[in-house]
Amino acid sequence: MRCVRAQRWMTTALDDELTGRRRRALDRHLARCEACHRELALTDRVLTALAAVPTEVPLPAGLEQATLRAVRAANAPRAETVGWGGWLEWLGHPVPALAALSAVLAIAGAAWWRTGGPPVSSSVPPVASRSTDAPSTARSAPPTLVAVATERRLVPEPSEPPPDLAAAPDLFVDLPILLNIEKLRNFDAILTTTVDGGTRAPEESGPPSG
Amino acid sequence: MPASSGSEKPAAAGIGAVAAQADPDVALMLRVQQGDEAAFGDLFRKLAPRVLQYMRRLVGHDARAEELTQDVFVQVFRFRHRYRPDSRLQTWVFTIATNLCLNELRRPERQRRVDLWARQDDEGRPDEPALADPNAVDPEAGAASRELARRLESAIAALPPKQRAALLLSRLDGLAYEDVAAALGCSEGAVKALVFRATQGLKQRLRDHL
Repeated sequence: MRCVRAQRWMTTALDDELTGRRRRALDRHLARCEACHRELALTDRVLTALAAVPTEVPLPAGLEQATLRAVRAANAPRAETVGWGGWLEWLGHPVPALAALSAVLAIAGAAWWRTGGPPVSSSVPPVASRSTDAPSTARSAPPTLVAVATERRLVPEPSEPPPDLAAAPDLFVDLPILLNIEKLRNFDAILTTTVDGGTRAPEESGPPSG
Repeated sequence: MPASSGSEKPAAAGIGAVAAQADPDVALMLRVQQGDEAAFGDLFRKLAPRVLQYMRRLVGHDARAEELTQDVFVQVFRFRHRYRPDSRLQTWVFTIATNLCLNELRRPERQRRVDLWARQDDEGRPDEPALADPNAVDPEAGAASRELARRLESAIAALPPKQRAALLLSRLDGLAYEDVAAALGCSEGAVKALVFRATQGLKQRLRDHL
């Protein structure tokens, strides 16, 4: 037996786990190899020292409580995530993400269908738009919803203020925007007036640098 | 702390009952699986002193070892339903601990740190081992024992991380090679080789002091 192999078997031999044949071979080698004999003694001392090493340490004060707090925090329901981080988490769950996306699209589509399509341009009279869409809308949506939607679109802007506002004309007189309404009306003149009292062309005025 | 969300299968429950009778740790863990916070506290007090000592020796930094111990038990609770009662609880917990430690040691910023013993020397702090021999009574013998313990701790700290983990788990924490292999994610033969090299490393460093 070579010394390298003998050294490989030493720990196992010291643990009394070396099989009979190997044990005898190792013993024969040790009987004639002084270096390996010393190595076995050294290995024995190292393993003995290791066995005496304490495997536990007193827990620092507060570690248990801190751990319990961390466990509770880790298992508490997550707060609503703000920003892209929360949305990116869905990439790890493609099936639920696609299902949720499909549901959102279906709801948005249904809402779009019920309200009769995209918002109508202000230049087009609502009634005319409604008249072209009316048959399909009437087929797909409950009559009450159509009536409500139509009613909302057809409410005219009031030509007169409500009676309670009309009875109190000074109600909003102290609002800052009303106090400065004169300046706002003359904004262009103020903007083009120079310090020396002259005027300059509006195109000369630009945004302040910096 | 949330209640248990998983339902135990009958077969698993049967294995659990048998294993719980054989190993009190398993019984404790089965209660933790049911969301028993008191059982988790008991489990922490029982295993944390060993886990913390293992962490201290593996990462060589007391404060970080405490943080990692906390992380270990947070993960134990978080993944409590993944534990199967037919395996030793200690092996499962030390597997989590080893993974966290080795990840910590792989972090680039960690590799720039100086190890625990060198740092203590540089800062002029008392060059004491993590733990002195608590059984030492005779002052002279106690001093010699403490010196040996200090050198042994230094020698362990100087081992490469995987050798250190294999040595600590097999020789100090008493895990079988099979369990150490599971914890380190390698074969049993590889664990034996790691332990052999670790023992050789300790012998080289302690040759003149044993």
